[in-house]
Amino acid sequence: MRVEFDWYALVPVLAPAIGALLVLLLDALMPRARAVHLGAALVTLGAGAAAAGHSAWTRAEQYSLCLEAPDGACLYGTTPMSSVLQAAALVAAAVVVLMLIGDRWRRPGSGGGAVAGDELVGGPAVAAALVLAATTGATGVVGAQDLGTWLVTLELATLPMIALVALSASRRSVHGALTLLVTSVLSFALLALGVALWLVATGASTFASSGVRDAWASDDHRLVLVTAVLVLLAGVGFKLSLIPFHAWTPVTYASAAVPITLALATISKIAGLGALITVVRAFSSVTQDRGLSVVIVALCTVALVSMLVGAVIALRQVDPVRLLAWSAIGQAGWVVLPLAAVSAAGVEAAAGYLTAYVIATTVAFVVVHLVHGPVPAGAPERSRQLLHTGGLARHHGWLGGLLILALASLAGLPPGVVGLVAKIVALQPVVAAGWWPVAVIAVVGAVLGVAVYVRWIAIILGAGRSGQPLQRLVGSRTALVLAGTALVVTSVVPALVFR
Amino acid sequence: MILLAAITLPLIVGSWLLAAGRPLGRRPVLDIALLTALGSAALLGAAVATGDSFERIWVPRLGLSLALGVDGISLPLLVLTSAIGILVVLLARSHTPQGGAPAIYLGAVLVTIGGALATFAARDAILFFIAFELVLIPVWLLIHRFGDPHDEAARRDAGLRFILFTVSGSVLMLIGILALVAAAGTSRLDDLVTAGAALPLGTQTVVAALLVTGLAVKVPVFPLHTWLPAAHTSAPTGGSVILAAILLKMGTYGLVRLPLASVPDGFARIAPLLAVLAITGIIWGGLVCLVEMEAKRLIAYSSIAHMGFVTLALASGTEVGLQAALIGNIAHGVISALLFVVIGGLKERWGAVRFDQPLPALREHAPRLGFVLILGLAAALGLPGLAAFWGEIMAIYAAWVSPRGPGLLLRVCAAVAALGAVLAAAYTLRVARLLWVGEAPEPVDPPASAEDGAAVVTETSGSERLVLAALVLAIVAIGLMPHIVWSVTAEDVRVVLSR
Repeated sequence: MRVEFDWYALVPVLAPAIGALLVLLLDALMPRARAVHLGAALVTLGAGAAAAGHSAWTRAEQYSLCLEAPDGACLYGTTPMSSVLQAAALVAAAVVVLMLIGDRWRRPGSGGGAVAGDELVGGPAVAAALVLAATTGATGVVGAQDLGTWLVTLELATLPMIALVALSASRRSVHGALTLLVTSVLSFALLALGVALWLVATGASTFASSGVRDAWASDDHRLVLVTAVLVLLAGVGFKLSLIPFHAWTPVTYASAAVPITLALATISKIAGLGALITVVRAFSSVTQDRGLSVVIVALCTVALVSMLVGAVIALRQVDPVRLLAWSAIGQAGWVVLPLAAVSAAGVEAAAGYLTAYVIATTVAFVVVHLVHGPVPAGAPERSRQLLHTGGLARHHGWLGGLLILALASLAGLPPGVVGLVAKIVALQPVVAAGWWPVAVIAVVGAVLGVAVYVRWIAIILGAGRSGQPLQRLVGSRTALVLAGTALVVTSVVPALVFR
Repeated sequence: MILLAAITLPLIVGSWLLAAGRPLGRRPVLDIALLTALGSAALLGAAVATGDSFERIWVPRLGLSLALGVDGISLPLLVLTSAIGILVVLLARSHTPQGGAPAIYLGAVLVTIGGALATFAARDAILFFIAFELVLIPVWLLIHRFGDPHDEAARRDAGLRFILFTVSGSVLMLIGILALVAAAGTSRLDDLVTAGAALPLGTQTVVAALLVTGLAVKVPVFPLHTWLPAAHTSAPTGGSVILAAILLKMGTYGLVRLPLASVPDGFARIAPLLAVLAITGIIWGGLVCLVEMEAKRLIAYSSIAHMGFVTLALASGTEVGLQAALIGNIAHGVISALLFVVIGGLKERWGAVRFDQPLPALREHAPRLGFVLILGLAAALGLPGLAAFWGEIMAIYAAWVSPRGPGLLLRVCAAVAALGAVLAAAYTLRVARLLWVGEAPEPVDPPASAEDGAAVVTETSGSERLVLAALVLAIVAIGLMPHIVWSVTAEDVRVVLSR
């Protein structure tokens, strides 16, 4: 059997993989040359992002690993929208790597306090390699078209995260890692089961819509297929932290180092949504009937419950990272909501919403990291508080301004226009499908979300004690410039995300 | 392009002041803001004179274009917004509210002005929504940060209530807009006039109900008005002026543009209910004004009554009614601006203006301010020769001759509204008696301000006097020559109602 390769199409996946190997190799050869490690990671991520960005910009559909006729299926394929997701994952990974390695930049002899990565077992290079590996999984699963690649890449995006959380080596982070590990094992079991059911129902090893159409024609197969989708939804629900699969999120987010939490909030989310999109897209050619409405009701329910509960609990948080964790659960509801329309527009809306969320949440996490600095290993549970960002707008104007812009974007209020457009795009397929009750409950979710973020914005604008000088976290500052520029530019030109 | 510049100039300068203006002194900030407001007004004038418009695709996914233009219905409101913007900036010269740097206050004012101009100039339904949302955070900032310094809890509560109420309304409106756009296949307001009217009655009714409910929060129409008194009481004088003269107008303008023009048959079906709510608001507002003890709250409730007349006129569905609503809008804008400047000025001098304690007689202590107050009250009462007369008398007439409604419902509404006008006479005379004549048996001196202990000079001075003179002139001019508004609106009113 001959397999046709299109190497260029695979660059977004291969680049971070090569980067991971390169960083590990360089770490073994030159353990002290952090600049080289950082350079290797950033160059490979940049190459991947450039390739993905180019595909998105030229609106090209890319296929690779195509089998010969008569099967003729391609094991890897991206649409312009999935290229945008890949680019977002790669840029988010660059931000994380900058924070992990770049923050250790110190002029010789300038001492300084604890820095993220100091307490990471194995050093920042190993952590960066793990981030790159997870990124490989995320960009891979976005393009994966067959069951095997899909399952393996999705797990590749998850497993390094567990290691990353555990690497902090404090008691709390081990607890967080354990929670994540148990969740992931459960999630993997569900995914494996779902994939097996899918194989039984369609008889095909790919997520091609032709297989789904055939299975839909027979009653028995349809039942199995619907079960498969529900089980897969549950499995992916863990990765996207949808309620009721969310329990690990606040624990793990709050216990890991902030750069690693950021990786969880961006790279893992992109992997989860990429996986879910592949499944939903396979149904685009199926006619509406009872079987499909079960899937739709399931999607709507988890979306709405996540949206409402996530926002309500986020209202009560005092730790900014926990607030962002619960808001991530609420935002995951918004991401999944348009998917329930099971249409091409819905899929694109979900991907666009997630991209906007990733940009805004990255800025928020980096600012929190800069304000609090790395939390030392033995720090008490409540060492980070929202009140510490009090007066940020007054004392550190740009930092406060960017955090407000990010929170406004998450709330879907101007000046965070990219977040507002994302909300419009997410609601459009739901309204077009005529689901009034869903749309009206989403209104409640939107209002609760505004209450969450406005509460924090009020603290940032108020008087407070955030006047102390910031730590010299060079990498994080560079990362903030990168993410902040992305946020401002996409707020002026939302078409970059919503093409 | 000129129109786009007129809108973006205050937005850009305002954002810059918010982000980086903090170190600037009071004087340069005031000059920059005044120049910006004047420059924007000049550009607007040039755009109107040249008949300028602008259109460019902004978010292709949504079919959203940056379409801006001016027609007879939006022109009076654009002029009002621009003029009120200049006056509010001028007002800050004589008194900048406490609570933060002057740059933040004026930055928020400028962004609000820019957002309101964009709302009135938008020729695309989704762009209208985005511009509508643009003013939320700056106005919240005005209430939350620069509001009544005596009661912080009330201020925070008022700000939060304002933002949550208006967000609920606007997201409901968004769902209505998306439903309309999905059904009609276009989001351009000009095309919606024909495409929307062709929709089946059921769709039109659902869309109209969503749009009217959403916009009714902003107007505000009777049961959804509870955010307004709190917001007015806590807001600084400039914020109250902006709320009354600009923000409420966005609601009525939206009612004209979206439900009335785009889904006329659906709007006709819910118009009788709207009329009943409108007269409930008129009577409710009037009754509350008879007993209310806090002066700014009283003006806020009288605003609800006046907006009731505007809503009633819109619900009548006649050409006279639409003309009445448009002139009533403008009239209420200038009259409430004048009353809030007077009462807000007194509140800033005295700390509070409450009717349950003896007040100094304005006619003795500040005859000029007293004259302006009497003129404003007379105008609010609807005396012929002053601005509000035309709007109210024509609203009652339009409801009387309206062909709509089950049986004689709208005639009953007209009669009740006339009764509401009598209530208006009663409560304005109450205010005049308490504030202008002074009820205390012995003449009371103005309450001394807490800081300096000296008697406060209550007479107007400097730029405040200029602002009041301009508003008095506008009230008299519109009262004597209503044709300056009608001649502009007449043609487009006929176009809107001609189908």
